[in-house]
Amino acid sequence: MILRYTAQRLLMLIPVSFSTSVVIFMIVYLLPGDPIDNLLRVGSSPEDRAELVAQYGLDRSLVVQYFVWIGNMFQGEFGQAIVLRRPVADLIAQNLPYSLTLGGLAFLFSSTVGMALGTLSAMVRNPVLDRFVRGFILLGSTVPGFWLALLLILFFSVNLGWFPVSGARGWESLVLPVLTIGFGGVALVARVTRVALLDVQREDFVTLLHAKGLSSGAILFRHLMPHALLPVVTILALRIGWILGGAVTVEFVFGRPGLGSLLIRALGQRDYPVVQACLLMLALAVMLGTLIGDVAQAAMDPRIREKKS
Amino acid sequence: MHYSSKSKLLSGSAIVAGAFLFSAAAMAQDVTVAFSASELGATAYNPVAASKLNTATSLIFDRLVEQDADQSFHPHLATSWEETPDGMAWTFSLLDGVTFHDDTPFNAAAVQFWIASYEGTENEYLVEAIGSVDVIDDLTVRFNMDRPEPNLLYNLASAFMGIPSPTAYAALGDDFGVTAAVGTGPYRLESFEIGLQTVLTRNDDHTWGSDLSENTGPGHIETFTFREIPDQSTAFLELRTGGIELLLGVPTDFLQILQAEQNIEIIQMPGTGISYMPINVTAAPFDDIRVRQATGMAIDQDGIVAAVYNGVGAPARNFLISSLPEANVDPDLNVTYNPTRAGELLDEAGWMMGGDGVRVRDGERLSVDLFTENSTEFTRLTQVVQAQLGEIGMEATITVFDSSTIRDEYRRNAHQLAVRGYDWNNSDILDWFFSGNRLGYPNVSMWEDAEGQRLNDIAMTESATAAERIANFTTYHEYVLSQHLFVPIYQPTQNIAFNSDAITVPDPVRGSRFRGQSFLDIQVAE
Amino acid sequence: MKTSSMTARTLDAFARMSIGRAFASGIGMVAGGFLVLLVLVAIFAPWIAPFDYAAQNLMNANAPPGWPHLLGTDEFGRDVLSRVIFGARTSLSVSATAIAISMAAGMTLGAAAGYFGGFFERAVMTVVDLTWSFPDILIALIFVAIIGPGLTSTTFAIAIAYLAQFTRLTRAQIVRLKRETFIEATINLGAKPSHILLRHLMPNAIAPVIVVGMLAIGDGIVLEATLGFFGLGAQPPTPSWGAMMSSGTAQLFLSPWVIIFPGVAVAVTVIAVNLFGDELIRALDIRDRLRGS
Repeated sequence: MILRYTAQRLLMLIPVSFSTSVVIFMIVYLLPGDPIDNLLRVGSSPEDRAELVAQYGLDRSLVVQYFVWIGNMFQGEFGQAIVLRRPVADLIAQNLPYSLTLGGLAFLFSSTVGMALGTLSAMVRNPVLDRFVRGFILLGSTVPGFWLALLLILFFSVNLGWFPVSGARGWESLVLPVLTIGFGGVALVARVTRVALLDVQREDFVTLLHAKGLSSGAILFRHLMPHALLPVVTILALRIGWILGGAVTVEFVFGRPGLGSLLIRALGQRDYPVVQACLLMLALAVMLGTLIGDVAQAAMDPRIREKKS
Repeated sequence: MHYSSKSKLLSGSAIVAGAFLFSAAAMAQDVTVAFSASELGATAYNPVAASKLNTATSLIFDRLVEQDADQSFHPHLATSWEETPDGMAWTFSLLDGVTFHDDTPFNAAAVQFWIASYEGTENEYLVEAIGSVDVIDDLTVRFNMDRPEPNLLYNLASAFMGIPSPTAYAALGDDFGVTAAVGTGPYRLESFEIGLQTVLTRNDDHTWGSDLSENTGPGHIETFTFREIPDQSTAFLELRTGGIELLLGVPTDFLQILQAEQNIEIIQMPGTGISYMPINVTAAPFDDIRVRQATGMAIDQDGIVAAVYNGVGAPARNFLISSLPEANVDPDLNVTYNPTRAGELLDEAGWMMGGDGVRVRDGERLSVDLFTENSTEFTRLTQVVQAQLGEIGMEATITVFDSSTIRDEYRRNAHQLAVRGYDWNNSDILDWFFSGNRLGYPNVSMWEDAEGQRLNDIAMTESATAAERIANFTTYHEYVLSQHLFVPIYQPTQNIAFNSDAITVPDPVRGSRFRGQSFLDIQVAE
Repeated sequence: MKTSSMTARTLDAFARMSIGRAFASGIGMVAGGFLVLLVLVAIFAPWIAPFDYAAQNLMNANAPPGWPHLLGTDEFGRDVLSRVIFGARTSLSVSATAIAISMAAGMTLGAAAGYFGGFFERAVMTVVDLTWSFPDILIALIFVAIIGPGLTSTTFAIAIAYLAQFTRLTRAQIVRLKRETFIEATINLGAKPSHILLRHLMPNAIAPVIVVGMLAIGDGIVLEATLGFFGLGAQPPTPSWGAMMSSGTAQLFLSPWVIIFPGVAVAVTVIAVNLFGDELIRALDIRDRLRGS
């Protein structure tokens, strides 16, 4: 049953999260140089060093250090950013809402426009339209995100002046970034919707509904589309890493605040406490998305659905 | 910590939600400004402790005196001042009726607390000559000097000597300038999203503008939003499309385009800094003075001004901006383009030209590391420098670092050459960058020399009058030049652009920089 | 011995036929032809490029496309066409090397995991699944942050980003093939695991892996361009499509051709890779073997 499957997957999440956190924790040790130096400003006083060592148990064994670190994380104590000299938790709290807005809107945009396109392509048997949609799908999955962003800026912001070039003020500044991320997402969703609808169309119950006199529109919306919803959610959830990656690039090109630009800036500045915290957040998002996607995929799989417990 | 982040999360979400609802907000009274590329990354509005400040600082904090473009000093929070003939004491009369943003009074006691707070900070050198501060009465204060300091007024007029409220400073500690910044300035700090934007709102109690402003009362504009836009071309595009009203620091590429625009106006002010290439004297092959000298002669400064900067600005021949008297050194010591001579020097030093265009000595190629920071202007200049070094047979490999961490990189002493710039219009910049007490950063040349240090200390601490100071610094400057510690490249002008349909700015611009005193005079265009 | 060489020869002929079939279709011909052309351009770049890609001519900076600079010049007066041509060299070599490394490592890991099974398999696959769903750009960024910018780190970053794909695919193939009767027979005959892996399992598993590898090269080119865009790839003056577009942002308004042409190069290359890859899958008839990867 689905519940059992979900429980199983949740259980599997534990070793996965554990290994992820270990890897993220180890980053500071894989870097060249003294790990303590990597967590401190160059030229910090010996008192600062001693304080850091005490707080993170840096003079104890690696295992102990890991547990101190992860314990701190659970309490919301993410440490102090080296370059910006602020609690990392504050920086994350400041940037997270922007990323969530961007990601959420991109998700919505991809699903709605993608489903519309996929439905159109499945229902309307026009070879030219078909070619166009297939071509669009191909473009969407191959064009580099930042290039698309630059082209959109050039065309819509500079030449037409419809949208702002950068920043995060007002809804206008969200249009181009969402479009950039959504472009690839739309392609993905359209393909999945198209396949799902084509599959479902052949089922017997559709003929039955036609015979009963239901209009094509009613059939489409009330009976066919719901069949596409689950695959769409699944594919978007499974490919959440892809949306996140797109968000990172987009935040950088459009100069928007968010977890992605925070991470990139921190990487450039070698601000490892910030890097670790951002990576943890992103890993969490990826694992959650994968979990949802896996469960949804299992829900669609009749073999798992029909199992009696 | 827990609660503050939760509330930040909520307020962050509220900001985003609010942005949706109020996107077409009252823009008439809200002017958006973009910082110039050199001002990005300030971590705190704390004039006492911060190593980097931006223009918004001059709106939050006032200073005792202000300096105009002609080098003269004007009263601000100090109405008058007197220096004893031997230079060992200064007495300042303070302005009456001034209050900080937290309603505490500005008085002599505040000045006393403030001078003492520099102890232990990077900026301590600004008050190092002051031995003690006496409160004569509420509005009179005396500085008892350890030695004469002809440069005192210059220091007092600098952004690093903005005056914070003692109460707030003591209360906030490390958080001062981050979560709150309290001064006497015409604008209060409303919010500070580090690395993103700073929002200032008008201080309606402010009636004490200096005479460098036409408007000495509260500012005309209600809110100033300062945005940090890392990409210079994005900032330029924002100005062009109306996203911002004022751009501090316009790359020269865009000047011509902007000048052609109907609604954009450009202000050009004399430059206050130079772009240059420090040479690490402790790293081979640059421990050989002939190689250093040759490197200097490889750079075609005039060509760079013409081609990279479209003829805007001037070539730099030594370490100081031309408007400073100490820049008038013996002309033979100025660094000029002379590739033939450079080749001769390298030959003398044993570096012979190889078949592939790179010089070789004892089987070793003349291959060097060239560091720079990731601003558009520097990466471009660095690539041109790389090509010019290639002309004399030196193969330079470029590594680009983030501008906020490059100072730490210099401290690691892994560099040989670097391309960077500074912004300072006083000759004590020589001490800042070449004193043996500051190896790594700011002393990127890693230079430690007994004679140099002697001249440095004389210039900094043993000049009794302004004329003496100029002479001592000129001597020091000439010695530095003779050691070939750097290659001067370019003197930029300050270029500011604004949307004349949206705002008007004072004309002429007073002061040596477009900051506090000019912002008071900005008005919404009719 | 005779049996295995016969198998080898049959497989050989089969592959040749199918790949030939991939070229036969219209799309396959155009896409495949383009790719071959691209590889030739990359190899013969020094002879084809009209100018020295590093030659600066500041007086002629930002010139629009025309004569003699067919695609215009960048902000240093360097010929864009020459830089695009040499950029092909950088992008293709970095991507191909990275994917080759990734394939070799991934196949070894995946084959071992699939063959030996048990705890070893579970452990490997857990780690692999971790990286598989993580966005490739982030993996690459972290890696480059650790090692530092440059072509070497870009290559390894790309290799690591796609390692998971090859591991999963190979393991899936091996697991599937393990069950085949002829393998059981070979085991019963007393053959060593290495013999079984190398002589019997791998040749059959290779085809889908090679095709995926080809598609991954396309992804690798995009990833290399993105890293170059962030300034983490090839350092100046080495041209790379991504780095050209990065410095081009500064000139977005003045000289958009510096962004458009490298971008078109990347897009067309990746599209060609994908189209040809699709044709190859069709020709080799291994679509079902790619499911579940």
